[in-house]
Amino acid sequence: MKKSSYDTALERELHDSLSHINLRKCHQCGHCTGVCPSARYGGIRPREIMERASKGTMDLRLEQDIWKCLMCNSCSERCQVGADPAHVITLLRNAAAIRGNRPPHFEEEMKLFVKTGMSFPRTGLTKKLRSEFSLPELEVDEKVMEELKILLSLSRLGRF
Amino acid sequence: MPSYFLYAGCLISSRLPFLEASSRFVLDRMGIDYLSFPRATCCVEPIGLRSLGYDAWLMFVGRMLSIASTERRDVISLCNGCFLSFKEAIHHLERKDVRERINRNLAQIGLEYRGGVEVKHIAEVLKDQGESAINALVKRPLKELRLACHPGCHLVRPSKLLRVESYFSPMLLGKFAEWIGAQVVYNELWPRCCGGGLAGIEDRISEAILRENTELFKASGANCILTPCPFCFLQFDLRQKQGIPVLFLPEMIALAFGASAEQIGLRYHRTKLDF
Ligand code: SF4
Ligand code: SF4
Repeated sequence: MKKSSYDTALERELHDSLSHINLRKCHQCGHCTGVCPSARYGGIRPREIMERASKGTMDLRLEQDIWKCLMCNSCSERCQVGADPAHVITLLRNAAAIRGNRPPHFEEEMKLFVKTGMSFPRTGLTKKLRSEFSLPELEVDEKVMEELKILLSLSRLGRF
Repeated sequence: MPSYFLYAGCLISSRLPFLEASSRFVLDRMGIDYLSFPRATCCVEPIGLRSLGYDAWLMFVGRMLSIASTERRDVISLCNGCFLSFKEAIHHLERKDVRERINRNLAQIGLEYRGGVEVKHIAEVLKDQGESAINALVKRPLKELRLACHPGCHLVRPSKLLRVESYFSPMLLGKFAEWIGAQVVYNELWPRCCGGGLAGIEDRISEAILRENTELFKASGANCILTPCPFCFLQFDLRQKQGIPVLFLPEMIALAFGASAEQIGLRYHRTKLDF
C-alpha cells in the first residue's frame, strides 16, 4: 500500500514516543518482568522487550512476543522510573500492525468494528435477551455508521 | 448530583445484557439520573483493537466525549476495559497538540471536544453513594456469601489515572460486601489479571493464569467470586475449571436490594449460584 502523509505522521509519533519518552528511562532493573503474569508462563518479558526495542534489534514484521501481553498494566504500575512498558508495548504493536504483523484474532475484531462500530457481534440472542430484560434496542443507526466511516477514513483501522 | 450517560460497552450490551439489567436495577433504586449513551460505538478496547488503531482510539473516544460534553452529562462505565479506554483518552486529550489534532478530525463530523466530562466506573458511583445510602436499601442481607474479591486490572492500574482504588491491597469490593451483609474470605494484595486478555490467542498462558487465580480462591473457602469487570466475569464463568460461581458487582448489590434471580437473569450464568 502506498504511504499517505497520515501514515508517516503516525509512524513519526510512534517513533518519537518510543525513542524519547519511555525507552531511555528504562534502567533494565527487571521489576516489570517480576510482576508480569504472562512471563510466569513463558510469554512476554517486558524488560527484555524494553531492551530489544531500545537497541533497535526488534524486527517488527516478525516479532511475536509483543502479542503475548495481556495489557494488565502490572509492569507499568511496578516500574519505578515511569518507563511505562505497557504503553511501549501498545505502540510497538501499532508499529508492527502497520507492517502487516497482526494476529488473526485481532484482525477479525477489527473487521467487525469497521463493519458495525462494535467489537462483539450482536446476534439473535442479543435481541432476545435485551427484550427479555426490557433494555432499549440497539439499532446501528445510519448517522452513526456515516460518522464511523468518516473517522475510519482518517485513521489506519479502515485502511489495513 | 451529576447526571449521567450509561455506557454499557460492547461485551455487556451484546453478549451479557443481563449484567446491564442488574446495573440499571441498582442505579434506578438509588435514584441516579441517567440516560443510555446516545450514538455509542465500541470504546476501541485497549487490549486488541487499540493495539492496531491507536489513532482511531483517540478519535472514537474523543467523539463520545464530545457528545457527552455537549449534553453536559458525565459517563458511567460498566466495564473495566471501557473505563481504562476513556480515562486514558481523557488524559491524552489534555495535551493541547493532541486535542487540536483530534478536534481537526472531529470537525469532519461536526463535533468538538472541549473537556469537562468525568467518566466513572459503576463501582465508583456506588462508592460515592456511600455506606448509609446503600445500607438503607438492603432488603435481603446476603449472609450466605463467602467472597473472593477480584477487582480486575483496569479498576486499579494505572493507579495515577484511575484513582478508584489502591493499587495494593484494595478494599473497595470488601466494603460493598460488608455493607450488604456478605463475608469476605479472600482479598488480592496485588490485584491479579484473570488471563482473559489472551483467551483465544495464547490459550495455554490464559488458562494457566486463570487456574492460578481460582486455585487460590478455592483454597480460601470462597463460595463465590465478586468482580466489577465483565471480561473477568466471562473468563471465570466460562472457562474456569474449579466451578466457583461468580457475581458481577451490580448483580450482588441488586440481589441485596431485593431483585429476584429471574429479574436479573442469574440463570444465564454458566456456573450456577444457589439463589
Ligand atoms: S521498564 Fe521499568 S521496571 Fe522494567 S526494566 Fe525498565 S526500569 Fe525496570
Ligand atoms: S501489561 Fe503485558 S507486559 Fe506488562 S505485566 Fe501485563 S502482561 Fe506483562
